[in-house]
Amino acid sequence: MPRGLKIVLVVLAVAVVAGLISLQPLRRRIRRLGESHSADEKARHAVLAPPISTPTDVTVKAKIFWAAGPDNVAPVDVDLALSADPVERSRQLLQALITNPPTEEQRTLPADTTLSAFYLATDGTAIADFSDAVASELPSGILSEEMAVNSIARTLESNVPGLRRLKILIHGQEVDTLAGNLDLTGFFDLNSAPASPTAAANTISPR
Amino acid sequence: MRTVRAQLAIQGYRVVATRRDDSNPSYDDRAAVANAYRDAIFISLHVASTGASGTVRAYYDQFSTEPGPAAGIKALAQPTSSLAMWDQAQRPYLDRSHRLADVIQGQLARSFPGSPTLSTGVAVRALRSVLAPAVAVETSSISKTKPDALAGAAGPLSSAIAAGIMALRQSNGVEPR
Repeated sequence: MPRGLKIVLVVLAVAVVAGLISLQPLRRRIRRLGESHSADEKARHAVLAPPISTPTDVTVKAKIFWAAGPDNVAPVDVDLALSADPVERSRQLLQALITNPPTEEQRTLPADTTLSAFYLATDGTAIADFSDAVASELPSGILSEEMAVNSIARTLESNVPGLRRLKILIHGQEVDTLAGNLDLTGFFDLNSAPASPTAAANTISPR
Repeated sequence: MRTVRAQLAIQGYRVVATRRDDSNPSYDDRAAVANAYRDAIFISLHVASTGASGTVRAYYDQFSTEPGPAAGIKALAQPTSSLAMWDQAQRPYLDRSHRLADVIQGQLARSFPGSPTLSTGVAVRALRSVLAPAVAVETSSISKTKPDALAGAAGPLSSAIAAGIMALRQSNGVEPR
């Protein structure tokens, strides 16, 4: 075998061994990056939407509706400090819905979504104003949009008494659809949910 | 879409597409096309990247009793006139749309395992202004890397739609074509 070829083979062998040695730390680093992603997300939200606390906060078991599989939402009991004031209480709940899903697969609203404002009229009409991300970063589709609105509506109606209907605004404006399919020009019923959770997850009726 | 259209045409239905190319007409434009035909049935086909893979869902519109100030064109409606509010044109057809969606969904559940057996009522924008029984059908989790999956779904999809149309015509006392 020519001497030059031998040298090339040795260099290649050394490179392969070096690559194998560096592979394990690389894998560990990738895993750490994945883990720190959700921590970064929480940190970003802490800046954009700091935790809401009020003097009347009491820790209760709140029911937050996150995805339970690819086509359904279901309640998860979460210990949450909630205000006695219905507006602050609603803001706390929606912030928890956005920022604290148990897993990324259970997320129904894009991580970058923020609740810009929340209003409550005397007739029980709730108005939730979300940032653009709720529409621009949500996968377009009837099912995904239905699950997003369902998670918001069911979370509010399960934890805030007296709410009658919900209007969703984006960036302070009424919009035609959430992400291209679900009609947002009307109102969504609250506290008139059908008896079974499955049925509740299957029906969104605008009011 | 082209395959579904061809399949339905083979079964004797006249199919009018609201778009024939990559253009993207507004929902109002599409509704206007549908509303130009008498005795039409409106089917809005959707493909989504989410949901349980291989499942298909049929949706009918769900209306409000207290609608908000809807966007879009509004026709002036007089109680005694035959004019309809543009953004609520679907309202008188909700029962028929619901029946149609249920029949289609029942058929879809047979062809696409894991699909629900009953249709779902959702405020689907595409259906709001249609003056005819109207249903949206969404196929879940179709990936661009598997175009064959979508083509393969066209046959059962068109059969389910045809079965729904036939059932609706029979329930209305019209002989199926």
